[in-house]
Parts: sequence; C-alpha cells; structure tokens
Amino acid sequence: MAIYVAKRLLMALATVLVVAVLAFLLVHAMPGSPGAVSLGAGASQEAIDEVNNRLGWSDPLPVQFFGWLGSAAQGDFGVSLIDGRSVSADLANRLPVTAALAAGATLLSAVLGIALGVTAAVRGGLVDRIVGAVCGLAVALPAFWIGIIFVYLFAVQSSVFPATGYVPFEVSPQDWALSLALPVITLAVGGAAFIARQTRASMLEALQQEHIRTLRATATPTWKILYVHALRYASLPIVAGIALQFIGLFGGSVIAEQLFAMPGLGQAVQTSVSTHDAPSVQGVVVVATVVVVAVNLVLELATKFLDPKLRAS
Amino acid sequence: MIPSIAPVPATAPANAENADKETDTDAAGVGAGAGAATAAAPAATGTGRGPRAAFGGLFAPRMSSRRLFASPGAAAGIIWLAALVAASLTAPWWLPYKTEDQDFTAILSGPTAAHWLGTDELGRDLLSRIFAAAAGTLGTSLITVIVGVGLGTILAMVAAAGERTEGVISRVTEVMMSLPGTVIILAVIGAVGTNIPVIMAILGVLISAGIYRVMLGQATSLQSQLYVDAAKVDGVSTLAISLRHVLPGLSNTIVVQSALIFAVGMLIQAGLAFIGFGPPIPQPSWGGMIQGASQHVYDAPWLMVPTGAVLALTVLAANAIGNALGKAPNAAASHLPSAADRRRRTAASASAAASASAAAPETPAAPGRLSVRGLSVGVDGGTPLVTDVSFDVEQGTVLGLVGESGCGKTMTALSLLGLLPSGVSVTGGQILWDGRNLAGATETAMAGVRGRGIALISQEPMRALDPMFTVGYQLVSAIRRLRKTGKAQARAEALSLLEKVGIVDAGRILTTYPHQISGGMAQRVAIALALAGRPRLLVADEPTTALDVTVQAEILSLLRTLVKDTGMSVVMVTHDLGVVADICDTVAVMYAGQVVESGRTANILDNPRHPYTLALLAADPHANTAADMPERLATISGQVPQPKDWPAGCRFMARCQFAGSACVAPVPLVPSGSDDGVVRCVKADELAVEGLEWVATEVPARRVPDVRSADSTVSTSSAVEKDRA
Repeated sequence: MAIYVAKRLLMALATVLVVAVLAFLLVHAMPGSPGAVSLGAGASQEAIDEVNNRLGWSDPLPVQFFGWLGSAAQGDFGVSLIDGRSVSADLANRLPVTAALAAGATLLSAVLGIALGVTAAVRGGLVDRIVGAVCGLAVALPAFWIGIIFVYLFAVQSSVFPATGYVPFEVSPQDWALSLALPVITLAVGGAAFIARQTRASMLEALQQEHIRTLRATATPTWKILYVHALRYASLPIVAGIALQFIGLFGGSVIAEQLFAMPGLGQAVQTSVSTHDAPSVQGVVVVATVVVVAVNLVLELATKFLDPKLRAS
Repeated sequence: MIPSIAPVPATAPANAENADKETDTDAAGVGAGAGAATAAAPAATGTGRGPRAAFGGLFAPRMSSRRLFASPGAAAGIIWLAALVAASLTAPWWLPYKTEDQDFTAILSGPTAAHWLGTDELGRDLLSRIFAAAAGTLGTSLITVIVGVGLGTILAMVAAAGERTEGVISRVTEVMMSLPGTVIILAVIGAVGTNIPVIMAILGVLISAGIYRVMLGQATSLQSQLYVDAAKVDGVSTLAISLRHVLPGLSNTIVVQSALIFAVGMLIQAGLAFIGFGPPIPQPSWGGMIQGASQHVYDAPWLMVPTGAVLALTVLAANAIGNALGKAPNAAASHLPSAADRRRRTAASASAAASASAAAPETPAAPGRLSVRGLSVGVDGGTPLVTDVSFDVEQGTVLGLVGESGCGKTMTALSLLGLLPSGVSVTGGQILWDGRNLAGATETAMAGVRGRGIALISQEPMRALDPMFTVGYQLVSAIRRLRKTGKAQARAEALSLLEKVGIVDAGRILTTYPHQISGGMAQRVAIALALAGRPRLLVADEPTTALDVTVQAEILSLLRTLVKDTGMSVVMVTHDLGVVADICDTVAVMYAGQVVESGRTANILDNPRHPYTLALLAADPHANTAADMPERLATISGQVPQPKDWPAGCRFMARCQFAGSACVAPVPLVPSGSDDGVVRCVKADELAVEGLEWVATEVPARRVPDVRSADSTVSTSSAVEKDRA
C-alpha cells in the first residue's frame, strides 16, 4: 500500500511539473512581451526593453524556467504585470472561493445524484425513464444558461439569494452561504445528472454480478441486497465519478464565476488570459493543477481503500 | 459548467473481463443513460468460445442501425441534426436577414411575423444569427470529435497491441486526465488567440485521453480473441490485425463516443464564447448570443430562449444518438428482479397457482421428496427453453441432470429455487416440495424456502461470493438470518461449518476476502454458505466445472460425505458423465430442453437405451480402457438445435444415427424396462434387442466444417446407413 501511495505521489508531482512546463511555454507564446503589457500602448521601446531585461525575458528559456520554478517552490509566483500585486497573494485570496464553489457543487451533485441514480436503478420502469429523461435534459442545457434562469427566478423575481457577488466566510457565514447558493445549485444540476447516470449504471452492473444470486439463494432481504451489497460494489465507480466531477468543476468554475461575479481562480484565469498577464497565467494554471491533482490523489486513495483487493495487499 | 468529459473509468472491482463477448460494445462514455435497452434473451447456451469465436469478425452483430432507428429519441435526433446541418449549409440562400442587419424598429422584440424568433438588443434577427452561427459551431465541434476520438482510438489500438507501449501511453493519458482542462484551454487561448478550430483541436487532444481509457478495455479484449490469435499464427502483421480485426469491433463504440463528444464539444464551445472567447466579432456564436441575452434577462427574458433551445436541442440530439447506439446498462440481465418485475411476478404466480392446484399430483408427496412434473420454462414472450421435464429426487439421494450446454439443465435447476434470470419464467408444470407447488410461488414464499429448504451452489465459486465483504461476514450473516441466532453463536457455527467442509484454518479464513482464497477453497466456502440454513435439498450447478481435476475429486467426495452425514438430497447439474458415475444415484439425461432418458445411474451407464445417451458414452474418451480403445472415437455430428428450430417430433432426430420415419411424431416418455427408468425414443426397444451401438463415422475428405447449418448431418447419417447396409 505504501508503495502504491508513493507511486501516486510521484505521478502527481510529475503531472504538476508537466503542467508547469506547459504553462511556461504557453506564456512565452503569448503575444506581447512583459514590458509591452505592463507599460501599455504608448510606451517607448527603451522602457519596454528595460522592463524585459529586468525580468530576464531574453534569458535562455531553461534558465527562466528553473528560476521561476525555484521561486514558485517557495511560494513566490512573481507579480502581476497589470497591477503589480503579488500573484501568490492574489491567488491565496481567490482559492477559497473556487474551492468552496467546487466542493459545494460536488457535494450537492453527489448527494442528489446518488439518490436519483439508486432510485432509478432500484425502481426501474417509469421512474427510471423519468429520471433518465430529466438527467438527459440537465446535461444538455449549458450550465450558464441554467444559471441565468436561476438568477432570474430566485434573485430577481424573489430576492432570496443574491444575484451576484461573494461574501467571505469571516465577514458573515450566512451571507457567505447565501452567496454561494445559486452558483452551487447551478453547477450541481449538471453534476447531479452525471453522477445519477453513473450511479444507475454502476448499480445495474452490480446487480448483474453473480454473488447477487447467491445472496438471494440465502434469503437475503431485498433492501440489504440493494443498499448494502449492490451499493457497496457500485461505490468504487461512483466515487471515481465524483472525483472526475470535482476535477471538471474546479476547472470549469470559470463560467460560473463569470456569471455570478465570484472572485475565484476562474475569474483570475479569464482576466489574466485576456490581458496577457504572463506571471498570473502561469501562477493560476499551476495552482489550479496542484489543487486538482491533490484532490484527485486523495479521492483515488480513498477509492483504493474502498476496494478490498487493494487494501489488503 | 464545462461538463466533465471523462468517461466512466474502469475501476470497478475486477469484473473478470468477459473475453467471450464477441463484438458487443459498451457505451461507458459520458454517462450511458436510459437508452433503448435491448431485451436480452438470456443465453441458455454456453459461452461464446468454440468454433464461432474463431470466426468472430464475420458474426459482428448488425444491430446498430436497427437500434438507432428503433429509438424514437435517436430518430428525432438524427432528423434534427440533419435539418440543422442542411439549414446551416444553405443559410446564405434562405436567411431572411444578414447577421449584422439591424432593425431599429424592432429591438428586443419577441417573435413577430417579420422576425420569427425575435431580435436582440441591436435589432438583429435572432433566427438568422442562430443559423449563421450553426455552421461554424457544428463544424468546429466536428474537429474536436475527429481529433479526440481519432487520437484516442489510435492510442488504444497501439496500446492493446503491445504491453510496454500500453504502460507508457497509459501513464501519459493519466496525466492528461488529471489536468484542469478548462484552465489549460484558456491558457492556450492566451497563446494562440481565439482561433476556434485550433482551440477545438487542442480540446480534442485533451479529450482523447478519456476516449483512450474507454477504448482500451475493449481493444484489449478484442486483441485477446481467438480469431486474432488465428490471424497472428497466419502471419498477419500487427497493423493489419489492428485495422482488420480490432477496429471493426470498436466501430460501435467509436460512433457512440463521437456522438457524445460532439455534444461536449458544442457545450464547451458555447461556454468559451459566453465568457468572451468565442469567434472574433462580427461572427455570431451561440454562447456569445446567450451572453448578450443575459444582460437583458430583466427586461427581455425571451431573448434567452431561442439560442438556448437550439443549443440544448442539438446537444440532446447528439446524446440521444449516442445513448441509443451504446449498450445501455442492461436492466434485463439483473439477478434481482426490479420492483416492476416483482409486481408482475406476484400477479402471474397467483394465476399459475390457481391453475396448478387444479392438476392433482400423481404421487402423494413423501417427506423430503422433490417431485418435478411436466416443468416448462421459457423466455417471456415465446421461446421455450425447457419443455415437460419430470423427475423425482428422494430424500438422501443424488440426482444428476446431465446434458450439453444449452440443453436447459441450468434453467431447470434455477427454477427449483425461483432464481430464473429476468425475462425467463416457469411456463407450466409443478415443482412439488414440502406439500407445496413451488412453480407458482410468490417471491415471499420462495424466500422462505431458499436457504432453509433448498440451497444453491454455482459454477464459479469466486464470482458467487461478494468480493467486498469477508468470508466471515457473509457466512455469519447468513447463519444469523437463517437460523435466527446471536452473533457469537453464529460465529461458532460458521467455524464448525467451515471445518465440516474440510477447511483446516477456519479461523483465519473467516477474516479473508474471497479474492484471497483459491478456487477450491472458495467452493468449500460456498458449500458452507449453502449449508448455513440446514437445507434438505442442495441444487449444485456444475460445482466442479471451474476447478482443477484433483480439487474436483475432493469437492465431490465432500458432497458425498455431506449427503451421507446430513441425509440431504442433491440435484447435481453437470455435463460430465464421470461426475455422474461418481456420486449420482439417479440420473436424468437432457437434450434440447427435454429429458430423453432417466433412471438409476448404474442402469443408464451400463445399459443406455436412448441414442443420445449411447452417443455420449461412446464419445467419452475416458470410458474405454486401453485394451479396447477404438481406432476412432465416436462423435455426434451437427449441433444442438436452437429452441426456434425444435421440431415437433424427436429433437435429436437430425443428429441421430438410427433416425427413421417414425421419429417425426412427438415422442413420449416410456418405461425403459429397468426399475423406474424412462426413455424418450421410439426405437429404444429395437436398439436394445439388436444391441446396436453408436459408431464413429467417417468424415468425408472434401467436406468443410460448416458450423452454421445442421442439415448437412442428414447426408452424413444416410451415408452411414449406406455404409452399414
């Protein structure tokens, strides 16, 4: 088990490194040198060159990369070309927002999705078809469209939830929760549909296993077959599905943050890309990857722990 | 939301890869949803190995197009997509307005005669803009599909062909799959700008990792098929094998994934356009239009509807096509009848019980005797699997149900416990046990019989045990439930049961998981589990088939001992006459859903009366001693007929060496003359009197083995007649 954990850690590290290289190369492919970006349109060539040299822009790429990597390892992602603020400080402020959004949406998706999927698998017949149709519709509608409708219904027609904006937890826990509610629900619609399908498929597959027949042959009550044995068997792919959901949500919260004006990582990606703010782009890509890889690692280990075959070995 | 694009990863606890499935594919893609589930007639026949598997590619089911048009959702989807494509390609000719035409008299208007879908905030016609944007959206999503599915499939085929490359590719794709895709795409946009085709191509590369995962399992299983081995032996190159044998098998999955990824591509594209990374102005895009609409959701909410509807419908269409083609998780193959099924069974059994009780049993029920009278089992909706089977099992005896794969012996055995698979049910006859007819019993009544009265052990012990729980948990909970004891006592019972079935280290075994013990040990555990409720009848479905020969002997000896010690009866389903000779007191030989001969084992084996039994014994390589080993071993030419091909008369006639004109009439069971034996053959007496034997036949030199038709056997048997004449 320890070897397995070590191997996964190594893979995680490798992934982050690969992404770091990728981000670095992409940033260097972006139009406009740092000097041009930070000084803006009317700047003189000398001023631009001066900034570029100070930032080491013309140094050989490997030198620049390892220099950046060294600082990054210590938590320093440089400063934004646009407003000169520390990238890492900015990201540190934004991370909790996206994390809360993604975690909340994943949690809600999981709870709703598993409930729906199990119901569809167990009841069969009409219930199954209805759930299937609803889920089909839920994944077909774009999340931002759903979000706008929710804003219209819940924030405009009835002002239960705030339409936009984020309130930090320290300021007011209730308002924090309310500000997260609409975005989380919006993202959870599609997420729950995805997990519901996965759950249904896994439950049906579990029920096709031969040991279910053995359980029936020993007069096991139906509820136990479904909710203890089948669900346990299905838990592995379901948890894996939830892990995938989180990865998708974390990266995909860009749109939700745009729609609901949440100051998270997604928003940071969007603005830094539009403004060609190289250090910000690099920083946010790497940070997002680190978080996603870390969570993925934890969930993967949890999955393997659930599987007796890997736990016992 | 950028929908999570990764497909279902193959992390379910080792489902022993069913490499016998020919070209059946699964849609383990972005959610295999409620598609048109194909009703699966459960395979009463054996696995897909054998001659058919060697010709695999030729038998690829051509069901895909039928499935596609059978599903109303998919059909509607195709029509919608076709219409959309046609409309967008011909857009320049029929669009009423240009995309940038502004009509200041109608800003933010709803649907009107002039503007069918309304106008946006600049007075531009929505209908025109939507369809002008369609071509670009559809086309670029197609790029994602081609790159993603294409790359994924190629990688999967390459990986399936070689183990080392598989390791490398799998690692790389694993890294790719754990990347935050959207963030990467945005960074790419930063570098290359909003060049939509390039962006979508790169998205395709990212998606290919997920496609690879889906395809890999399938490609690997296709590579391990017998016909691929045959091709390799023939000297076919790896590339040719991949293209000619593996790729066609993947075709259905490719189409399914293409449809699903197409939908994903469109959603992602719309999302990117929504946040401002769409095609450069003035080109319209659906996402951009929704962004514009969102600004006016308060004063003109209708604006949201047309674009959203068209986008959603297109995505729905693609998903519907993908789901219809994919093999939806088959609810019909479940071992647990769904709630709907159970309700139907209760209604059916009520009427069956009414009709069955009308027919009085011929013999009064003796204690502990199982009497099966005229049992018929069939698929709901027609095809019979078992017709008119009758036998008795006295307390303390072992009955062997012997026959080839597909003769219905397993279905007969399962019907004794009411554990027939979904879609199969008892269609007639009685199963008399303990003064009751089990054939028409409700699920609740059967639950009372299972475990306590009648128990089951099956063929694959490793699969019969729940892999997620320890042996101890499964055994103890069964004992507690069936014997109503406390936990500690149940544990003591479990230990003694394990010892009774010959497991030495019982205490340790209780703490192990099924995958940690050997097959023989697992079968012993399964037997212990079956004994948990102290049953008086044990149904054993080929319990030794999956075990080594030496372990076989041990298990059989164990069963013999248990019968002697506990006095329980056994119905032993087997295809091995050696097993029959070993432990069965009586035997019923089955062929094509019927009992063709039954009686005491000694009588049947020494003095078989039915041609089929004669043939089985003649064809048994172990039956002859070295001294009188014949030069050529007898065979039974032809194949077991499918239920739909069952003739009204003798079902063995087509393959029988003694067939005659009298065999075309339905053949009843008649006493065979020795003890209680019965035989279903009009020529039984004739054969016994003349002492005829089943002989080995010459295979004509120029005859090519034809595994499909059975009518060539007629010529063979007439050739034999001529030979012997």
